[in-house]
Amino acid sequence: MNDMRLFERAAAVDGVKISAKGVNVHYGTAHALKDVSVDIGDRLVTAFIGPSGCGKSTFLRCLNRMNDTIPSAAVTGRIELDGQDIYDRRVDPVQLRAKVGMVFQKPNPFPKSIYDNVAYGPKIHGLAKTRADLDVVVETALRRAALWNEAKDRLHAPGTGLSGGQQQRLCIARAIATEPEVLLMDEPCSALDPIATAQVEELIDELKQNYSVVIVTHSMQQAARVSQRTAFFHLGHLVEYGETGQIFTNPRDPRTESYISGRIG
Amino acid sequence: MTDIPLGDAAPAAPRPARSILETDARTRARNRAETRFRAYGLAALLVGLFFLVFLMSSILWNGLGAFTQTRFALDVELLESELDPEGTRDPAVIAKTSTFGYGDLIEAALAKAVAASGIQTDLEPGDLADILSSGAAAQIRDRVTADPSLVGQTVSFDLLASSRVDGYIKGRVTRESLADDKNLSPAHLDIVDALVADGTIARSFNMAFITGADASEKRPEEAGMGVAMVGSLYVMLTVLALALPIGVAASIYLEEFAPKNRFTDFIEVNIANLAAVPSIVYGILGLAVFIQFAELPQSAPLVGGLVLTLLTLPTIIIATRAALKAVPPSIRDAALGVGASRMQAVFHHVLPLAVPGIMTGTIIGMAHALGETAPLLLIGMVGFVASNYPDGALHGFVSPNSAMPAQVYEWAKRADPAFYERAWGGIIVLLVFLLLMNLVAVLVRRRFERRW
Repeated sequence: MNDMRLFERAAAVDGVKISAKGVNVHYGTAHALKDVSVDIGDRLVTAFIGPSGCGKSTFLRCLNRMNDTIPSAAVTGRIELDGQDIYDRRVDPVQLRAKVGMVFQKPNPFPKSIYDNVAYGPKIHGLAKTRADLDVVVETALRRAALWNEAKDRLHAPGTGLSGGQQQRLCIARAIATEPEVLLMDEPCSALDPIATAQVEELIDELKQNYSVVIVTHSMQQAARVSQRTAFFHLGHLVEYGETGQIFTNPRDPRTESYISGRIG
Repeated sequence: MTDIPLGDAAPAAPRPARSILETDARTRARNRAETRFRAYGLAALLVGLFFLVFLMSSILWNGLGAFTQTRFALDVELLESELDPEGTRDPAVIAKTSTFGYGDLIEAALAKAVAASGIQTDLEPGDLADILSSGAAAQIRDRVTADPSLVGQTVSFDLLASSRVDGYIKGRVTRESLADDKNLSPAHLDIVDALVADGTIARSFNMAFITGADASEKRPEEAGMGVAMVGSLYVMLTVLALALPIGVAASIYLEEFAPKNRFTDFIEVNIANLAAVPSIVYGILGLAVFIQFAELPQSAPLVGGLVLTLLTLPTIIIATRAALKAVPPSIRDAALGVGASRMQAVFHHVLPLAVPGIMTGTIIGMAHALGETAPLLLIGMVGFVASNYPDGALHGFVSPNSAMPAQVYEWAKRADPAFYERAWGGIIVLLVFLLLMNLVAVLVRRRFERRW
């Protein structure tokens, strides 16, 4: 594993947003994530790639402590957000998740109106004092998620009535409405058709101006298109992490090369 | 990205060419099996349907009679000399005359009515009164004490006929069956026939069955479900007020917050077991704990409600947990993902989606409790207790009462066949309430059901 540390140092970025050191995750007796250390840069898109069950989603869920909701999951190691340990006893995961938003694999809007979907986060975090403020927050989030034009005339129609791609953009709007600093996306396009995927990718590209985006994806083309850094996971190990261009054109680890050339996975 | 060998997987032997227009033996066998299975299913359905129709028609056939009652329109001369010899019209003086004192007035009025119908009879006036309910005197007295100015006038009353006469009008009692009956003779029936002919005796809708109280064993014609219905209402209010919040809170804790360990597994298994405990066990538990230990009043709907709460809780908990489980985990993830706390996720998102399931479970549990008899009998809510309405709204919880199914049971075990008819009638009332509750369950489900 020592050789891998070397690559990480090579890929070190200035403006580290999240820094993970020696993270291990166990689900009961299964060792899902083995000694992962990674620095995620600010205002960059970082892609996690790797075959199914390699631990990339597990690691993503560590970053906003969504693994806390799985009783059998045990996380060790240190993950820092802006230099503060997010697994510190004093950290309330609820507050953390307001800073580290998440978009899931399957679009999961609440069975409420589009407006209420987006307004929910700001409401519970007290980000809007008045109804007018809330309207502004909702409009801003929907505009940033490139959904405003399609949704502005039907803000009070149920969010579940949108198409799949629109629903996913609604979920992104919902996540950015709470003004997070990091946006975690767990295979956000796996349930979408190519056109909707292209829209979401375009959106991710715009989002990186304001947020750190971490995206888990099965599509290497997508990783290549949207990310600046790429991490390759295999069997619970972080095999290689570096500039996206370097990972795809000049991988240093033979396993990375096998995966991106389609020989394993 | 697994390798799929393409070239080297040659078929072992070429399949014989076969037309798809002819079915082979295997397909025919499968089709036959499917046809058989459908026939079994249809047969099972028809058997069930037959029993349902049989049950419903026998209930209606036996019970509808309870909703009509034979009445006797009688002009009674309320003689001042009998009721208020001093002419004071003082209610206290008039109340001194017992129901016995009205006997002569009724007999005189009856004799007049019989004479008016033009039939000759050699029955004594005292025997003649057997065609009226023994409660008729009380019926008249109640009205006179309420309005003393009636004394001295001739007032027309709608008096209850005796249960035998009622049975004769409804076809339950015949001249042959009266041969062994000391209460009424065929001679009475001749008079009844004549009085029916001139309209003095007639059958009308029996509001008293729905609003009235239970009556003594001698007067089935007076017995009604009303007080027992009120008893059931108070029992159900108690159950709803206790079982719904406790059950939902317990389910939310178990489903959303409790750590999954041996202790919660143990609780879970025991809740499932409690749902299968015979109801009479809850009854004897209620007797021991609520009445003997906690010294709550006997026969009180409050205690009945407490016992039925214990009985309903497992049903509500199981239904609520199932409803909570059915909410997709992605909704919880979504809520937690935007920074909602566990409680906010549950109360803002999970619980509203589970409401239809919870309400259906609760209403079905309540319907179960509404029909429960055995535990009520053990804590003293037996049918004959339901003879008076409670004094006030809050008194309803503690004043001795019965409930509808216990009232039905009480009537069913009484000797007079007229009570048998009322027992069936009581079942109809009970079924109407159960149907209404199920209807509410369906409507609630429709109203709150959301798709996601």
